[in-house]
Amino acid sequence: MIEYNRKLFLVVDDFTDFRAALIGMLRQMGVNDIDAVGRGEEALALCRRNQYDVILHDYNLGGGKNGQQVLEELHHRRLLPPHCVFVMISAESSQAMVLAALECEPDSYLAKPFNQASLQQRLDRLIAMKTTLRPLLEAHHEGDHARVLEACRQVIAAHPRYRPQCQRYLVMALGGLGQHGEQERVLRDLIAERPVPWAMLALAELYRNSGRLDEARDTYEEGIRQFPRVPAMYDGLAATALAQGDPEQAQDYLQQGLRLSPNSLRRQETMGSLARRNRDHEQAARAYRQAVELGRHSLFRNPENHLNLVSSLHAQSDDGTLSQRQLVEIRQTLTELDRTWRDDPALAVRSRLAQAQTLRRTGQEDEARRLTDQALEQLQEMPGFFSAEAAMQVFTQLDELGQSQRAQQVLATCAEMYGDDPQVMDALARHTDDPDILAAGSEALEWNRQGILQYQQKQYAAALELFRRAGAAQPRNISFALNTAQSLLRLISREPSADLVRECRACLQRASQMPADDHRRERYLKLCDRLEAQ
Amino acid sequence: MMNHQDPGPEFSAILASTIHDIKNSLSLMMQNWEQWLARLPPEQAQAGERGVIEYEALRLNGMLMQMLGLYKLQINELPLQPDWADVEALLQEQLARHAEILQARNISSSCHIAGPELFVLDDTLIGSVIGNVINNSIRYTRSAIRLSATTDDGMLLIRISDDGAGYPEHMLGRRGQDAQAADLVQGSTGLGLYFGQCIAAMHQRDGHQGYIELVNDGELGGGEFRLYLP
Repeated sequence: MIEYNRKLFLVVDDFTDFRAALIGMLRQMGVNDIDAVGRGEEALALCRRNQYDVILHDYNLGGGKNGQQVLEELHHRRLLPPHCVFVMISAESSQAMVLAALECEPDSYLAKPFNQASLQQRLDRLIAMKTTLRPLLEAHHEGDHARVLEACRQVIAAHPRYRPQCQRYLVMALGGLGQHGEQERVLRDLIAERPVPWAMLALAELYRNSGRLDEARDTYEEGIRQFPRVPAMYDGLAATALAQGDPEQAQDYLQQGLRLSPNSLRRQETMGSLARRNRDHEQAARAYRQAVELGRHSLFRNPENHLNLVSSLHAQSDDGTLSQRQLVEIRQTLTELDRTWRDDPALAVRSRLAQAQTLRRTGQEDEARRLTDQALEQLQEMPGFFSAEAAMQVFTQLDELGQSQRAQQVLATCAEMYGDDPQVMDALARHTDDPDILAAGSEALEWNRQGILQYQQKQYAAALELFRRAGAAQPRNISFALNTAQSLLRLISREPSADLVRECRACLQRASQMPADDHRRERYLKLCDRLEAQ
Repeated sequence: MMNHQDPGPEFSAILASTIHDIKNSLSLMMQNWEQWLARLPPEQAQAGERGVIEYEALRLNGMLMQMLGLYKLQINELPLQPDWADVEALLQEQLARHAEILQARNISSSCHIAGPELFVLDDTLIGSVIGNVINNSIRYTRSAIRLSATTDDGMLLIRISDDGAGYPEHMLGRRGQDAQAADLVQGSTGLGLYFGQCIAAMHQRDGHQGYIELVNDGELGGGEFRLYLP
């Protein structure tokens, strides 16, 4: 028997009548503690304060965040206790929403209308399961993979009916521990016993991430043959085709996934970037338009979608003219961008340049020039710099606006900051053939490479000299600055020196210019901590 | 040159969105009905009309769900999400959904599991097929409904049996994917069967396909609906 009188419940539905009916059912079951609200934002606020045992959440709340967006945010901000049961309630058959986000599934879907008996049957089952899985769920919540493995084996032995649930956690934990061989073996065994979509997806992804692209492709294709209605299979197949150098095929696959499940923000973003790359600007504009729409209440909203929508609309017309409808859409999109991210100077520059491009297309040359000058002034004063990808877009914008000299400067800075990343250099080479930009860093790169070798052999003093040389040649390069700082910290820990600490602080100050979403930020923060600890 | 007229939105799409709204308002009606019942004195709350109202509401909802399901199937938007499911919980939940009606009509119900505890299927879709069959059986049975799950030649066999007069002769037999939608003219029973055979056929494994079969003289002596899943 489950002691419902000791459970804390949250009910989220925009219809007061439905809330009252649901609360009535819960009271009949013996539940005493029930919070009930009508909006997703309120639910999130309550979850910050309380640890709910059960959340019953309506999917479609009329306005604001929907159930999926609330669940994503609850997961992302880690607001759910590991044993919490989250049930998504919906008037429509659940399938369309199931597909919206496979990464972030609720524990169960319940279709309206339902009676008390079926609600209780479902909750009894879910609570019993989570109670049994509790050691496993807690270990998973804490990211303790080894403990997850142990708990999985124990639960499977004692409660074979929960084997399918345990196996998912087991596979995740093996991945977390880096035991990919074992992970592959477990997944192959599972599939041999009985193929299920998640296991085929996990195996294919494992292949893809380890560069076994042919095997990945075969597995996705087999997955689609067996489960033709699982959109994530098409996502994976598209990513594989792209990795194999066939972006057009990739767009085709992704299109099939979108047909099954258009409500995924990430899928629309991927489609936008693929279509753009394939110069299919109509498709790109459609995808980015959807992404802007889907992102409006989402935690994962992304200003790049606004800018990409505008540039896709610009690119749609060969002769440069824009229809009245396109002009309205561009204006609305940029207004929303400026309003939503008003404190981001890099976005302000890009938004202004996009406006200037639009004005130029409508023949308002003077006004366009005025805005371009404003943007260039902001660019001058901007702290930090764009991400590599954004820098290349700014280059294209400035180039189109007749500012080729400033455009080249942006590329040069980009090469200096990110030039140690071969993918960035490849992309740069598609925008310019200026040897001053493309080859400027090659000497510094070689010093950096040798520095890394010395560092690996624990020759920190020699490594430092090489990193210093690289850094002197390209002072804005983030990796060189981080490498110098790391070598300095090694030497400081051996023999404290105020000079070296000062130098290290200056290096980290240079590295702090990286964009907020740069993959090296974590490393940077760790180095800052270590410096503080000196 | 042909004179093309703007066809407007497709009729089936209009129908689907209307069904959606009907379903929502039915759902709201039934919730209010339950709240109202809770406030009525017991002798009035247990009146015979209650069973009729609740049964017909569930039947309506079932038909609307099936129509939406078939629409989505037609436009290729009914995704199948098979995963390991607890077979007994699946059957029990459908009985629970009909708990009040079964009680009000004095129909006894039972659930017997003799096959695997877990099986790979789409529990939402299979659940709705079973729910519709139970709903239909309630109408035709005399006193009992029996659910059972066993294995038959490697397939999961779910049976919903009653002790009524059985299915009409022309409806008996096995239905695979190729079966015609001819039964649709038979009203809600036909719609439910067609939906069931579509969902069953979507379940595939190693070239084997799910199917349904109708027999008489079943386990309780009346009609029996059989759902085979690979």
